[in-house]
Amino acid sequence: MTGRARSFAILVLAMAGTVTLAQGTLDRSQAPTPGPPPTLRVPAWTRSTLANGAELVVSEKHDLPLVSFTVTIAGGYNQADPAARRGLADVTAAMMSEGTTTRDGEALASALQLLGTTVTVRIGGESGTVAFQCSASRLPATLDIVADMLVNPSFPAEALERLRAQRLVALVQARDQPAAIASRLFPRIVYGDAHPYGQNVTEQTLKAIARDDVVAFHRAYFRPGRALVTVVGDVHAAAAKASIEKALAAWAGGGEKPAFQYPASPAARAPTMYLADKPGAAQSTFAIGLAGPPRSTPDYYALQVMNTILGGMFQSRLNANIREEKGYSYGVSSSFAYGRGPGAFRAGGDIVSAKSDAALTEFMKELRGIRGERPITDEELSTAKDALTQRLPGTFASAQSINNAIVSLWTQGLPDDYYQQYAARIAAVRREDVVRVARQYVDLDHLVIVIVGDRATIEGPLRATRVAPISITDIEGNSVQ
Amino acid sequence: MRKTAALLVLACAAGIGAIASAQAPQARPSPLRIPFESYALPNGLRVVLAPSSVSPTVAVTAWYHVGSKNETVGKTGFAHLFEHVMFTGSGHVPYGVHDRLTEGVGGSNNGTTSRDRTTYYETVPSNYLETALWLESDRMGFLLDTLDVQKLNAQRDIVKNERRQRMDNQPYGLVGEIVSNTLYPPAHPYSWSVIGSMADLTAASEADVKDFFRLYYAPGNAILSIAGDFQPAQAKALVKKYFGAFPRGAAIVRPAAAPVTRDGETRLVYEDRVQVPRLVIVWPTVGSRNDDRFALAVLDAISAGPRTTRLTKALVYDRQLATSIAATQDSDESAGEWRLTITPRPGASLTDLETAADAILDTLKAQGPTAEEIQRATAGLELEFVKDLESNLGRSMQLADGLGYQNDAGYFQTEYQKMIAVSPADVKRVANTYLTKGRLVLSVVPIGKTEMAAKPSESTPYRRTDR
Repeated sequence: MTGRARSFAILVLAMAGTVTLAQGTLDRSQAPTPGPPPTLRVPAWTRSTLANGAELVVSEKHDLPLVSFTVTIAGGYNQADPAARRGLADVTAAMMSEGTTTRDGEALASALQLLGTTVTVRIGGESGTVAFQCSASRLPATLDIVADMLVNPSFPAEALERLRAQRLVALVQARDQPAAIASRLFPRIVYGDAHPYGQNVTEQTLKAIARDDVVAFHRAYFRPGRALVTVVGDVHAAAAKASIEKALAAWAGGGEKPAFQYPASPAARAPTMYLADKPGAAQSTFAIGLAGPPRSTPDYYALQVMNTILGGMFQSRLNANIREEKGYSYGVSSSFAYGRGPGAFRAGGDIVSAKSDAALTEFMKELRGIRGERPITDEELSTAKDALTQRLPGTFASAQSINNAIVSLWTQGLPDDYYQQYAARIAAVRREDVVRVARQYVDLDHLVIVIVGDRATIEGPLRATRVAPISITDIEGNSVQ
Repeated sequence: MRKTAALLVLACAAGIGAIASAQAPQARPSPLRIPFESYALPNGLRVVLAPSSVSPTVAVTAWYHVGSKNETVGKTGFAHLFEHVMFTGSGHVPYGVHDRLTEGVGGSNNGTTSRDRTTYYETVPSNYLETALWLESDRMGFLLDTLDVQKLNAQRDIVKNERRQRMDNQPYGLVGEIVSNTLYPPAHPYSWSVIGSMADLTAASEADVKDFFRLYYAPGNAILSIAGDFQPAQAKALVKKYFGAFPRGAAIVRPAAAPVTRDGETRLVYEDRVQVPRLVIVWPTVGSRNDDRFALAVLDAISAGPRTTRLTKALVYDRQLATSIAATQDSDESAGEWRLTITPRPGASLTDLETAADAILDTLKAQGPTAEEIQRATAGLELEFVKDLESNLGRSMQLADGLGYQNDAGYFQTEYQKMIAVSPADVKRVANTYLTKGRLVLSVVPIGKTEMAAKPSESTPYRRTDR
């Protein structure tokens, strides 16, 4: 009954507090003055190297009996997928859950279910992960299964056919969804077919994948020499390392991180509107932008402040205007993709069809505005900086979020004291830096404007805006004129 | 919680309302042990406090017992439209300040509307707790001071765009609305979608907003739930300071929204702008006040999902007629639905899929599940519950839902215990009780391809009445 005893103590304090507060009537006209901001508490972690060469990071967090475990592999489908077999990385990742030499797919699924966990294998653009969360007591048993998946996948041929068929159906379904169409069109037009960022998974590339490709991909990709193992949660560092060494003993060494060399982006072109017809669409999906800088750019912090003012938050300029003031949309935003290569700047959202032209005009007005036509106010600058820096203390709330924070340092090549330095870097951004990066990266002379919508009703009004010439494309981005 | 409520009255008379709702002692420490206490102010506002110093942030949830079921025919979508109006400023908080003092200081805010309740939240650094209470109390107390028709019109346009984005311009986006329209009789408060019809959104007036606010947005109909890094004594003082002086509000007549049963099968075919058809089968079941929902939830977990589940194993893996199958028991406050959603492989007919799914469910109804199936379905529950309660926001919302729907902020404990106690016999019984002929079979097919429906000759076209 300690809970009850504690509550009596609380009662006394509350009474004392109430007396002071009751004096005088409440003035609601001013926002309360906040106390001093909470200090940033970045969790501690220890680094070491496993016998097979994989890097290991352990961070202890004992408030809940939970563990978050991830194996991260440097490089992703942009490094590893052949252009003609785009989708191989994704299919290989899915094949990892289809069984091992000693557990068939169903036995594997059943064993993980009984441990109360799910192991996800995903390969993204520039890194891949094998990850799970589990109760701390289940860590050794789950590690054994994950090691089996990593080292001994059986890659059944029938599973490849099933996964291929599922992906072919998903591709057909994506053609019915305006946002999915825009997300395929925009990068293809910005980067072109010769750049990994511009290559899409298609029916042809999926059909070209053979089981041998999966086997070879697995052999080359899942190597300790390019891997980081992170364990966060209710573990003790030394014991965790011992059980990981034991579980991963069969994962033989070798492999190295890829170079992340990208071909040059296509030569900059004059602004063009690419209109893909979606007959009868109630809304037009907009994606406006161009190739941007890599994450390693020294302009990163200024860009973060700039984008927060332009389109990173609810009250940012784009959403405040196009949603809140004009009511043309349920929400618009902008972002930079960053990454190891020239990740895109992209602004957009879903616009009610009848206001497609008016919304385009407003998008362009705000893009010109952030480049200097509409001066950045003190309030905008300080709010953007506050939002970015004060978000940080709350990001280390769960085992999973701490794990993600550690992994993202590694995948992006950032130093261990990155989080400690972050606020000072943001604070150092000056108004002129914000305007400079806007002028450099929000490049109005080379914008790609993708609009997926009902051509019959929106083409004429869009043309009349005279923002840029219109090129009609099919939903894969091929010109149809 | 009746007992706690009685004690609350005494505590309130003494000037504070603080009674700890200590959790029952357990044989072994459960990861679901979340320290919290709940109490009520004299004006009826119920409060939950869940301190935790893991993250230097605080989540504030304001929970109002009003949702789309409190609407009437001709005024559908109003509860959600009103939710949007709540973000347009109030007596002492000019428009925009709410975002500036939440997202603008590294936090977040949002609102959600369901059939049964409307929830608002702020997450902020811990030094902004008082600010969040100032913001939340000002719109509870003074929303109408600055309301005008322009604000309503602006949000009306945005909500119409929300409807377009989520439903009208989304493949299969109208399935939920068709199910609601069909499963419940016309005047049943679950028979319309939460977002409502375009015509009703157009018709909503400023007077509607005022009446709705005065009736439903009062302390007696609200819960304030605070989770995160704060001192309970200070939080209590602040809650009293900002919310204590508001009048309780009038008594509310809750709409009758009993679970429904259907005599026979209803078969519909809906032509959508899609290339891949989809089969949706829905049985009316029970809501969150009926414990059969636990066995129905376990039934969905053994029916579809991982490849060990019956329908997924047979239809996605062994016979390869489907690319995906989902089964869900949705438990709203007053009624529930058990739903199967099946996406076919090319060449597989919806008729074949329906027949195959029915045969598998018939076997399950005849034999019941195995103990191991139940074990697989429930082994991950503890982790799921812990993850839901791990963040300050998740915790504040779970506690508010428990108090609002079950009169027990700590109801997640009961829910967990009842879920893991479900037996094979329970699942067999609910499968036979609810998965009957009284169901809706909805085929979504490409435009002009009604012959792709399951049993097309027995299916009737679904006609939209409003666009």
